[in-house]
Amino acid sequence: MNPSAQQEKSFAIMLAAPSVLVLIITTTFPILYLIWSSFQNINLAMPMNDGFAGIENYIEMFKDKQYWKSFRLTVIYTVSTVSLQLLIGLGLALLILRIPKAQWVFRLMAILPIVLAPVVVGLFWRTLMLTPDFGIVDFFTQAIGLGSHAWLSEPKLALFSVILIHTWQWTPFAFLVLLASLASLPSDLYEAAKIDRASAIKRFFYITLPLIRPAIIIIVIMRSMIALSAYAAIYAATRGGPGTATEILNLYAYRTSFLEVNFGYGSTLAVFILVVTVSVATVLYLIRKKNN
Amino acid sequence: MKKKKTILEKKISRRKFVKNSVYTGLALGVFPGILTYPSDALAESFGANINWRQAEGSEITVGLIPAGYFKNLANVKSTFEDLTGVKLNIEMTPPAQIRNKAMLDFSKKTGMWATNCTDPMFYYLYEANGWVDRLDEYLENPKLTDKKWFDYKDIQASWRGTTSVKGVPYGIPFDGEATCQIYRKDIYDKVGIKPANTLDEYLSNAQKIHDPKNRLWAAAVRGMKGAGQNMYIYPSILAGYGGKWFNSSGKMTVHTPEAIGALDYYVKLQKSFAPSGVSNWNWPDLADAFGQGTLGSYIDANSTAAVINNAEKSKVVGKIGYARWPKGPSGKRVCSIWNWSFPINAALSEKDKVATWLFIQWACSKETQAATSHKFAGAYKRVGVNRNSVWKNSDFQSLMSKMGDNFVDTSIKSYNQDTDADWRPRTAKWPAIGGEMATAIQSALVGEKSSSQALIDAQAKIDKLMMG
Amino acid sequence: MNKKIRDSILTLLATFILLIWILPLIWSVFVSLKSEIEVMAYPPNIFFEPTLNNFRDAISGSLSIVSELADSLIIATITTTLTLVLSIPAAYSLARLNLVGKKKLGFYVLATQMIPPMGLVIPYYLILGKFGWLDTYHGMIIVYMTFSLPFAIWLMVSFMEDIPREMEEAAFLDKASRVKTLLFIIIPQVKGGIAVTTLFTFMNAWNEFLFAVQLSGNKVRPVTIAMYNFVSVEQTMWAKLCAAALIAMIPVIIIGIIGNNHIVKGLTLGAVKGGGRK
Repeated sequence: MNPSAQQEKSFAIMLAAPSVLVLIITTTFPILYLIWSSFQNINLAMPMNDGFAGIENYIEMFKDKQYWKSFRLTVIYTVSTVSLQLLIGLGLALLILRIPKAQWVFRLMAILPIVLAPVVVGLFWRTLMLTPDFGIVDFFTQAIGLGSHAWLSEPKLALFSVILIHTWQWTPFAFLVLLASLASLPSDLYEAAKIDRASAIKRFFYITLPLIRPAIIIIVIMRSMIALSAYAAIYAATRGGPGTATEILNLYAYRTSFLEVNFGYGSTLAVFILVVTVSVATVLYLIRKKNN
Repeated sequence: MKKKKTILEKKISRRKFVKNSVYTGLALGVFPGILTYPSDALAESFGANINWRQAEGSEITVGLIPAGYFKNLANVKSTFEDLTGVKLNIEMTPPAQIRNKAMLDFSKKTGMWATNCTDPMFYYLYEANGWVDRLDEYLENPKLTDKKWFDYKDIQASWRGTTSVKGVPYGIPFDGEATCQIYRKDIYDKVGIKPANTLDEYLSNAQKIHDPKNRLWAAAVRGMKGAGQNMYIYPSILAGYGGKWFNSSGKMTVHTPEAIGALDYYVKLQKSFAPSGVSNWNWPDLADAFGQGTLGSYIDANSTAAVINNAEKSKVVGKIGYARWPKGPSGKRVCSIWNWSFPINAALSEKDKVATWLFIQWACSKETQAATSHKFAGAYKRVGVNRNSVWKNSDFQSLMSKMGDNFVDTSIKSYNQDTDADWRPRTAKWPAIGGEMATAIQSALVGEKSSSQALIDAQAKIDKLMMG
Repeated sequence: MNKKIRDSILTLLATFILLIWILPLIWSVFVSLKSEIEVMAYPPNIFFEPTLNNFRDAISGSLSIVSELADSLIIATITTTLTLVLSIPAAYSLARLNLVGKKKLGFYVLATQMIPPMGLVIPYYLILGKFGWLDTYHGMIIVYMTFSLPFAIWLMVSFMEDIPREMEEAAFLDKASRVKTLLFIIIPQVKGGIAVTTLFTFMNAWNEFLFAVQLSGNKVRPVTIAMYNFVSVEQTMWAKLCAAALIAMIPVIIIGIIGNNHIVKGLTLGAVKGGGRK
């Protein structure tokens, strides 16, 4: 190996080493502890039962109806909010693209919801927005004839509401990324297409969309990870209720670990969430690499 | 010559005397402790025959929730610090997280909190894990407690029952409440009805004043799902229907005819007379609605009186009446026995444990209870004092009667006559069981399941939990 | 259609949509200027006598959130700084250098991001407790770095991958040292990316709640917990809560404004070509 390549190798290692070391130190023990706990029976309410449980927890998880319900809710929640964010963000971006003058105002306004703390967002939407006969959302729906509803009290409506809250907070992110992405597309491509008399819709699907695919994939990856680990806003808004209508897997793990003090089983759920997340990410990661 | 010497001597001696006096005076001024113990006066005013300074120099942290009654306590903490020489840190933690944090601290033995405000339903759990000390040892130790002065039996008997496990005290109640009917006296008077004596009467009363078109809903109770929320009201209804948590063989049974009856009643009440968002309502929401005049009556803690009497937010001051829980079909009348109490973290050092005990004794003493209530300088005066003697105090009573019609009488009778120690199942598995029941109750309320089905499902889950 | 008319219609439509989006925030500004009793009025009124009392109460007095703001500022700033210092070189290494085990390391970094926070509370409590780092600044910073580091590396990698190869080759021809290349050629090119990373790293640390509540205590109180000063068991003081929440948003907004142009450029670079050497 020539000296320059050797140099490059060591330089590369030197640059990456500190970060990797920090990560190894700070994440290895927790992951091992988590995995270890998932094989244990750790229930603070029944300390005499503590001990090695083998794969009992995992078996129980697969038999647990509530777990499957939570899993289903999580999928619905994640897919819905990410799709909505993408669609609305794209629509807004295409719209704003044609108004270059006021763009910076819109960009600034778009940052605001993202910047709010999720716990505050949850509290705020719960009372000031969605409370029947009090919140302004309810006020508006009554005003336009859609009537008052128990937005957070009816199971299906509640799920819709928390998806709405999450989408509200994070769509601006998709909007900003797509706006930037669209704005930097080379205009000569469009010129060429116009000369070819391609319609606007054709232009969009065959030229624009493929070019912004990388942006879309990044949005999907990042927003999915956030949606899967959502906690503060939902908890503040519904606590996972009514009943268990909005208890996504993350909240179920929280309830099991902390409220039911069954740390062993809670760890099992957490490990499983990790496995699912990593799998999903792997798939998306491979798509991204293939795209390049 | 002699005379001169004498004068000189006199002068010298006088100068010496003056010098000495000045020095002594300075010393006394700068170091008053030379003459007396700094907190002697304070200790004397407390009148307890113990050495308050035996844990001097310690530093303890106490976890509390941000509620008015604890804020008052935090406000007078300098009294404690001056009295004992112990530094007191108070950490306000949101109520939804405080139990988790306390349990993390206890179970990992990190000793972060010397004590924290504790939910009485958790003592079985704490005791099973050995996380808190037995307090009878502290109460009986003459070096630590002046029994006559502290007068443990003066604290509400039913509350003391909830903070003990198998008769052994593990926590000392600090603040508490009883649930009762709270209603708009003016509206009741106009329609000509009296507060309900039975659960059915409560419904018929509601029928007479229900007027949602004019934004007046007749009645509501907690709907939010939680062991301390909807599972705080349902058990009282259950008791009214004669229901029990354990059957004759000691097995926890939640799917019984009485339970179904009680849950049906709960759902009927909420669905017929409460605003539609009630399934997400906790007591602040009930109190707010009442204070805004949109709720005609509700059943909840007598301590919400402080909120609905706060002229800054409430429009109904002076129009409020109180009455005891209505009786159920079985003839029983049962209210809640909620209180916040202080245990001692078993993971502390001996000296810190003594310091903690001194804190608990001070906080729960007659003096401090009065100081944070009718003698408190701020606007919010504590309602939920723990001592019978304070409830009998005329100043306290005249202050409390401002809360509304019949407040004092209702509260005292509820505390003394309407409590049942087994009103909620006392078991180490309470956190999980309370949660399961809460979910079931809410499922029935929102129509996800029938009362019977919800209870059947809860029974299945609870069976699994109790199997361990 | 006349271009001008079409533009004005579009502008109106866009403004309308964005206003609806921001409506909750606008409403919270209104609420923060009302008195508590006004907040409860129904139908909600837009015309009222504004008062600055709530802001005053959030800043001074017993409910003040100022010390919590300071705590959050310290934690978020140090976390962000350390994260940037560590992640930028690491990202460069992963993106453009011949690093040993690059693919596996890259995936490892990504995977550490995915551990559900819920599962980490107890292990972290244990570790910090053992070292006596509960309720300390460094304790919180270490925990936050665990989340922000992979996130930052990952972001910066995608930005770095977009820089044309020619840049480094040109620097090489000029016989520039590797370090100089990194500092003076690469980093200026990803200024936008750095701005994005800074904003999001800071924001994540600033708004974090789950760990803040369990791992901090008396001496260190992040501002997300301070919100609960206004949410007591008895009632929620909405006006003051909104005032406090708005104040708490200010530092992040400032960073956002400062980097606004850079941020957009940054998002462009990272998104358009999606990486890869062209």
